[in-house]
Amino acid sequence: MAREFDHLFKLLIIGDSGVGKSCLLLRFADNTFSGSYITTIGVDFKIRTLEINGERVKLQIWDTAGQERFRTITSTYYRGTHGVIVVYDVTNGESFANVKRWLHEIEQNCDVVNKVLVGNKNDCPSRKVVVTEDAQRFANQMNIPLFETSAKENINVEEMFLTITKMVLRSKLEMKERQNVTANDTVNLKKSHKGKKKCCH
Amino acid sequence: MVFASKMPSLRIDQSDLKCKNGCNFFGNPQWQGYCSKCHREQLQRQRWAEKGLTATLPKPVQKKMERSLKLSSHSSFSKFEEKRLRQSETLKNKTNLLKFSVFSKSKSSEIQDQTPERKPPEFKVPATVYEMMKKDWAENFSNLPVQVDRECRVFVHRFIWDVINSSYVMNVDELSERVQRYYQQFIKYTDNSPHLVSAEPELKERLIDFVEKHAMTYLHDLPGVVFSPHGTEDERLDRAMSERIQQLSWVGEKHLECKLDHSNECSQLLYKAISELLAMDGAPFGGGKLAHVRRACLHVLELCGAPASADDLLPKLIFTVLKANPPRLVSNINFVTRFCNAQRLMTGEAGYYFTNLCCAVSFIENLTAESLSMDKKEFDCYMAMPASIGGSTWAAALSLCGAVKEAEEQRQHAEKLMEEIKKLQDDAEQLANNAETFEKEIAKKVQDVLAKTPLEIKPRRELPRLRVLRNSTGPLIDLETSKTVPEEDKQKIPQINIPDKPQDKIDLQFETLNTRTENILSFDMDKSPPKSPQNQPWESKQTGSFELLTPSPISFPLFDSRSIDERMDELMTPEEFGPDNLSLGLSNINYDIDLSDLSGDNSYAEDTPKEPKDPFSPDGIKKEPLFDPFAPQTSNYAILEKFDEFTLVDTKNKDASDSFEVVHRTNDFQTNAERSDPFGPVQAEATSILDENNSPSGACLLPSPLLPQSSKKT
Repeated sequence: MAREFDHLFKLLIIGDSGVGKSCLLLRFADNTFSGSYITTIGVDFKIRTLEINGERVKLQIWDTAGQERFRTITSTYYRGTHGVIVVYDVTNGESFANVKRWLHEIEQNCDVVNKVLVGNKNDCPSRKVVVTEDAQRFANQMNIPLFETSAKENINVEEMFLTITKMVLRSKLEMKERQNVTANDTVNLKKSHKGKKKCCH
Repeated sequence: MVFASKMPSLRIDQSDLKCKNGCNFFGNPQWQGYCSKCHREQLQRQRWAEKGLTATLPKPVQKKMERSLKLSSHSSFSKFEEKRLRQSETLKNKTNLLKFSVFSKSKSSEIQDQTPERKPPEFKVPATVYEMMKKDWAENFSNLPVQVDRECRVFVHRFIWDVINSSYVMNVDELSERVQRYYQQFIKYTDNSPHLVSAEPELKERLIDFVEKHAMTYLHDLPGVVFSPHGTEDERLDRAMSERIQQLSWVGEKHLECKLDHSNECSQLLYKAISELLAMDGAPFGGGKLAHVRRACLHVLELCGAPASADDLLPKLIFTVLKANPPRLVSNINFVTRFCNAQRLMTGEAGYYFTNLCCAVSFIENLTAESLSMDKKEFDCYMAMPASIGGSTWAAALSLCGAVKEAEEQRQHAEKLMEEIKKLQDDAEQLANNAETFEKEIAKKVQDVLAKTPLEIKPRRELPRLRVLRNSTGPLIDLETSKTVPEEDKQKIPQINIPDKPQDKIDLQFETLNTRTENILSFDMDKSPPKSPQNQPWESKQTGSFELLTPSPISFPLFDSRSIDERMDELMTPEEFGPDNLSLGLSNINYDIDLSDLSGDNSYAEDTPKEPKDPFSPDGIKKEPLFDPFAPQTSNYAILEKFDEFTLVDTKNKDASDSFEVVHRTNDFQTNAERSDPFGPVQAEATSILDENNSPSGACLLPSPLLPQSSKKT
């Protein structure tokens, strides 16, 4: 069976308007990569296949509208999402302040989801407002990996996407394992139950 | 079935106490193991189920009426109505409730199992579904093994059947889950089927879409099953959404902070996007609806200009939805979310755009002054404004677009028509050419044939005969009659010239008859000339004695007065010929069978060429019995009549004979026999004709005294 991928993941990019979500996506999609597959539709929706540990992973990355007014309505985006990339602008303090709200949003809509925090536009140190240490501290506090990227200079973009993909893949495999375990448990239970019945008879 | 496979448990643990719906509230055995809320929903579903069971398929008409009713009624009123319905329905269902066991949760499986029995067994998935599937299959999957086709159809059948059954007892979410499970099942099938091992994943996806399409296309049109199902508020929400969008018609691009130029191109794209959104309602299955949404969003993206991000897409999509106001928007969205293959909905391009649409809709639903970043007072003012006022330049632009599109379509149509006309003209020309060449060819062929077989004009055969005839009779004809002959000849000759035509044939017959009678006449002329109505002077003289003996001729208006006169003249005068009725009856018979004589004449005419020298030979008349058993009788009288006719014609020409006739007539009729005697062999010949013809049946029908008269006449 010639399946072109082993796993299909849906990633979501959220963050304030104008922090460069679309640019990140564009950078990631435009980057030529062996065996990569990019659809040529709008920037808001991208597909790319990566290979991690010999397994082909197809990524579907959904861009979201970051405007304040749309914040409450984005819940539908979260359906079936495997990983979320929260983006802020290192040159914009407010966007970093809003990260908390975005994270809260995620918590409300998804039970368990892998997240990464991304400080974009990290290409002009003079204009940088959000200090890396602050961001790192916050990330540690939230238990989220932090990446400072530049879509413009193509810094850290690939790594960031790779990391989130790995996280998602790992958690999926873990989940599978756990499911197997629970499945075994249920089987055991049923078996024992049957045994009991037999005993009664 | 999934529910049936669950083993009934004797132990009751915490989970058993909870609502069967799994809503984490505690259930109550009196509510069939549901919590109060779920129980109420369940009841409502049962009510629908019962309604549905009375007619296998819910009636669309009824629903439409309901819809219109709901449209007219205010929301508060409809709420009241709902409450009332619910109350009556709980009362109704009390008996139903008793049927269900109160205690065990496992009863749910029994309810499940009962449903197929409660449903009328005659329900069948219509054959059209399979026909459509077959057709679609032949178009798209013809290279796949036939077994897969069959299995797909079996699967669709099971799917539809089960969904319809389940829809009566399940709420929408359960049903949705069930449908999703079916999709999963089919996906598993595609993965495991031995026929599909080598199949591409893309093909499998198409196969899944195929199954979904056909199952859902059927279910979609069943009212209240999957599309705005019973027990949901989809319809009400549809109306609310539609009203809201109408109310928000004043919202422009600046409120949503999306940049749109008013260029023609821009409005064209917007128009396209809107028409796609409107078309979404028409698509009967999730995949089709998603395809429309995707196209609409792509148009919107195009509207944004590259590179477009979600930041641009969403506001413009909202704007598009506001301008489009798609019908049954909420129902459509719910239908897709519930019954579209979830795999596709959560991932993939279509899923992404659909999600965006959902976001747009939910934004419109929750739209406030804040979300438009405008003053609340201003917002309220706008909202209080009647919807009709709140148009914008966009409305005009869009309607213009619509007009342009329509004009374009019309133009294309006209062009098509023009092409057709041109084609028709070309065809016509070609046809004309063909006809021309054909004509030429035919003419050529005809000429060829003519050249090959030159037409031979043979001397006419009849003409000499007639001449002979005339010549032979010539010596017998009187001066008076001979005068008429040339006139008749003139008539004869052109008519006989074209003997091929049937009418002329008849003419010819007449002519020949004429000549014959003429000839016969010529015999009589000198001895017993026929009388005619022109013989008034002596006729009137005669009538004096007539009326004493016979009834007035007026009493028999049906008959040819002439023939009656004839008979009267000839038959009535003899006193021994007492019974008048008899003579009249006979005259009647004569007249009727006159036509057969024509046939006799016809045969005579045909025969004449063979023996041109003796046209009035008895042979010709003798042949008549062969054609008609009545012939002898008829021919006799017919000839008599013919004589009258022609004598009439003849006598017209010769007035001179009147005096002669008068003399003849007034001379006694009783002396007929004596008169006939002196006639020579010619006369004998004529009588012989009559005699021979008369002999078979004339003897019984005709009184013998008639014979001498007729013979005398001839």
